[in-house]
Amino acid sequence: MEQPIIQINDLKKTYAGALEPSLRGISLQVKSGEVYGLLGPNGAGKTTLLSILCGVVAPSSGTILYRNHPISGNIRQLKQEIGVVPQDIALYPTLTARENLEFYGAMYGIHGADLQSKIQFWLDQFELSHAANRRIDKFSGGMKRRINLIASIMHNPQLLFLDEPTVGVDVQSRTKIMDQLVELNKRGMTIIYTSHHLAEAENFCDTIGIIDAGTIIASGSPNVLIEQTPGARDLEDVFLALTNRKLRD
Amino acid sequence: MKKFIAIITKELRMLLRDKIGLSILFIMPLVLIVVMTVIQDAAFHSISEEGVPLVFVDNDKDSLGISIGNGLKESTLCAFSDQIDGKPATAETARAAVSEGKFMIAVIIPEHATQKIRTSVEGLVEETMGLSEIGEIRHYVDSVEILMYIDPVAKNSIVVTVTSNLHEFIAAMKTKLMFETFSEQIGEIVPDGVSKPSNAYAKTQIVSYKQEYASKLEGGVTPNAVQHNVPAWTIFGIFFIVVSVVSNIMKEKKDGSAFRLHTMPTSYSQLIIGKLIVYVTVCTLQFFAMMLVGVYFMPVLGLPALDPGDSYVGLFFIGISTAFAATSFGVLIGTVAQSEQQGAILGSLSVLLLSALGGIWVPAYVMPGVMRTISEFSPMNWAMDGFYKLLFRGEGFFSTFAPGMKLIALSFVFLLGASLFNRYKKRA
Repeated sequence: MEQPIIQINDLKKTYAGALEPSLRGISLQVKSGEVYGLLGPNGAGKTTLLSILCGVVAPSSGTILYRNHPISGNIRQLKQEIGVVPQDIALYPTLTARENLEFYGAMYGIHGADLQSKIQFWLDQFELSHAANRRIDKFSGGMKRRINLIASIMHNPQLLFLDEPTVGVDVQSRTKIMDQLVELNKRGMTIIYTSHHLAEAENFCDTIGIIDAGTIIASGSPNVLIEQTPGARDLEDVFLALTNRKLRD
Repeated sequence: MKKFIAIITKELRMLLRDKIGLSILFIMPLVLIVVMTVIQDAAFHSISEEGVPLVFVDNDKDSLGISIGNGLKESTLCAFSDQIDGKPATAETARAAVSEGKFMIAVIIPEHATQKIRTSVEGLVEETMGLSEIGEIRHYVDSVEILMYIDPVAKNSIVVTVTSNLHEFIAAMKTKLMFETFSEQIGEIVPDGVSKPSNAYAKTQIVSYKQEYASKLEGGVTPNAVQHNVPAWTIFGIFFIVVSVVSNIMKEKKDGSAFRLHTMPTSYSQLIIGKLIVYVTVCTLQFFAMMLVGVYFMPVLGLPALDPGDSYVGLFFIGISTAFAATSFGVLIGTVAQSEQQGAILGSLSVLLLSALGGIWVPAYVMPGVMRTISEFSPMNWAMDGFYKLLFRGEGFFSTFAPGMKLIALSFVFLLGASLFNRYKKRA
């Protein structure tokens, strides 16, 4: 773990017409090669933070440095070097898996033989070669999730944002997805990850940041967070202790 | 460039696999054109060829009644009948038949109508020629009243047309009677051996008129339902691309593809231009398909063929600029709408509104003054103007430049609006 790849300082966001701010001054840093888990209850501000970090939403105030440079002046370069796996299955249902990957690969500037070899490589890695020419709307939930992930890693991003990448999939698909993510991280990819699957986060993340009501309320390695929380046996205990049991509807 | 090709390929693949969407894009406008033209043509023919169903009651049995009866019989405007259910029509039965909708108009000529006119005319002639004795000047009044019963559902324009025909017959009859009376009176006062006025009135028509459409098209142009309706409904069909474009954009928003694309090193303008290329091409193909239906399929249905005018370049220019405006409008609506349903309703209703304002349903020149002014700002009105210049007035490519450029300029306004809204959403 080396230099911070992302540094956020006092980031605030209030949407137009909203009564409450979504982010109330977030500050954190993610080191290069790290898996950073951003955990929080519904409406805590995770998706807003990810949307700002990947350049889709503009912050109200605060600074974000990517490799020590403000992202605002270099958004095109940032977008070339990041990958975003949305929580939704952001694929075209009437296109085949290969056609989806061809399109998204082309949007990252990969073309021709290079694109085809990358597509084939990742389809093999995720055991989807047999379904390459099948339409996405004929896929199972687990298969869609895997293609959803491939579409964001084909260009070998430096920084990968994962918004609940294993939600709604069976154990086999989840294991395959997590194994591949661990492998990508070993090869140097930095990952910022959100999930409600706390056991998965505990095993996968190097650092956890717990966000609630637009503020980071705790951060550290999973083990440190568990040790610092009286009576906590796992990350779920830590999470409940910090965010309490009140429903966030 | 490779990104454009990828975007275009993706859009084409999605379009080609959406069979219902494709049928909406191509088959529905073609069906619409055929149906609307056939209906309009039938409506036109029912009046101009079969005529307005009219029942005639002649209680006069003299010159006026016979003359009007013959005039109505010969008129292509009316489907003439003097009988109801096999019996000679009377004023009472005629009224009942019109109220039941069997006839649209009943014309009843009163008893002694000719005699009354004749007496009136004779008095006027005597008075004019000073033949009446002093103190015997009579003031004859033309008091003949022709009664008409009109079906309440009949359009006012039809009633006006029939009554103006009746006025024409009556005026002609009155002039004829006057001429005859003059001839008789003159015959009585001129000495024997001098030639008397012949019955030349019936043989000559002093004033006649010739009707010609002022068009530069070689051989002239005859307005008909095809020539009017094909361009109008083609414009309407092209603008319905709005619904498809909105649906395409809203689906991308809904399934998260739009979000994912925003995280990629691809600009909003690249994505939109890719869509525009595909949808403008589709619209242009639609346009040519609809023109071909007008030229080749309408005659199969027994309708006149569409005359595409002399400038194919002008036709292409106005077609593609209409397609550009329609697609750009779809991009704007798709960008602004918050949900698929909202987009679909906003898209289709706005097209209907623009078409009504643009003179697709009712010609702009029959609209009230304020609406006519508003109509001048409708892109569909500009497109109609371009088509009419080519298809009716026989003008060339340069005549389509102004309406075409207005459509293109408006397209850029729509796209700028979409882009600004997109930026606003990012910062909001």
